[in-house]
Amino acid sequence: MQKTRFRFLVAALAITTGPAASLVATAETTSQDAADYRESVMTSLKGHIGAASMHVRGLVDGPEFLLKHARGLANGASEIATLFPAGSNVEGSEALPVIWEQPEEFAAAVEKLVDATKKFVAAAERDDKPAIAAAFRDVGGSCKGCHDKFRAPKD
Amino acid sequence: MRYVLLAVALSSAAALADEALLEKGKYLVYAGGCITCHTEEVEGAVPLAGGHALKSPFGTFYAPNITPDTETGIGKWSDDDFLRAFHEGLNPDGDAYFPAFPYTSYTGMSREDLLAIKAYLFSLEPVTKEIPDHDLPVFMSSRLAARGWQMTYFNSGRFGPDETKSTEWNRGAYLVRHVGHCGECHTPRGRLGGLQYDKGLTGNPDGPDGESIPNITADPEHGIGRWQLRDIEFFLDIGMLPDGDFTGGSMSAVIDDNTSHLTPEDRKAIAIYLKSLAPGMD
Repeated sequence: MQKTRFRFLVAALAITTGPAASLVATAETTSQDAADYRESVMTSLKGHIGAASMHVRGLVDGPEFLLKHARGLANGASEIATLFPAGSNVEGSEALPVIWEQPEEFAAAVEKLVDATKKFVAAAERDDKPAIAAAFRDVGGSCKGCHDKFRAPKD
Repeated sequence: MRYVLLAVALSSAAALADEALLEKGKYLVYAGGCITCHTEEVEGAVPLAGGHALKSPFGTFYAPNITPDTETGIGKWSDDDFLRAFHEGLNPDGDAYFPAFPYTSYTGMSREDLLAIKAYLFSLEPVTKEIPDHDLPVFMSSRLAARGWQMTYFNSGRFGPDETKSTEWNRGAYLVRHVGHCGECHTPRGRLGGLQYDKGLTGNPDGPDGESIPNITADPEHGIGRWQLRDIEFFLDIGMLPDGDFTGGSMSAVIDDNTSHLTPEDRKAIAIYLKSLAPGMD
């Protein structure tokens, strides 16, 4: 039984469109798990950017910690493209169908975030304040740009 | 010779004044959110040339072309035509606008600010672009329906500062209530679309494009009462909520086209005004 489910999911993942590799599924991974995992990764991004924003705004200090959060953002961002296997738009998910209908546009939006987070890390490594502020703005802009089109509006 | 120099000095002073007027008009075009509704949502659309579809529970409205094209835009409008549209909600023929054009908020704007906007719009390249008619149910298909609505729900009147409040608060009130017309989305509407001012900014479950629009009064549970002033300012600048989430949907466009272009002082004024609103007040 489990084996059947595994094969089904692997098949589903294999036909997922878009350039990226898919979620690393196991025999236990259900569609709900894929959606839950996605939400967990997104929540971790929210935590990192919330913390990073306080450094950027000068409300806390500690360049080494900003760098950790910048790396956390870059790590999470690099995983996003794998987080939307076919069939994972389960009931209650905020992921809109347009993600699977326009995979190239979605991939481009994700790539924009990946690039922005890499620049953010580079700026944080140099502790270059103006570059950090500019890169943070781009990271935020790519979060917002993607949510605008690919996430259901919040209630 | 002296007269020539004087004339040169005067004309360059006039040019500077013109430039200042256009700058002011441009700033108010951002602050008034004109671009969001008057620009079609397609790649390469010319800003302010109209065509954006505004879907509401009352039908679909197509925002007009407000570039100075004389046939399809507002190129033939006089100053009085322009002022009457914003202050009275009437087009140059004297017909009533549907309140999809938020004259209900803009009515509070000063003559000086509106004429600065007009000067800026008239400095733009005219674009010839025909806009489709609004797609409305039969009972709303006539401008008379708009006139009836106007007589029921609309009061024309300019903003007057509250002398008991700070200059910042008054600037915030002017931006939120009138120029930025925040209540047009954030205030709930009655059955026929009249704003329920007694519930000002408490959110609208049936907002434009089917979105549920949040409460932005100082209510700590349902509103933004727990946000610090600087959280509001930062949100208006970049779109990040205090928990690190980023807004999407229609507010994202408001940030891109409006609030991120404001001066830090104006964002602060807005924050001060919003924080002063008790739940259910406006």
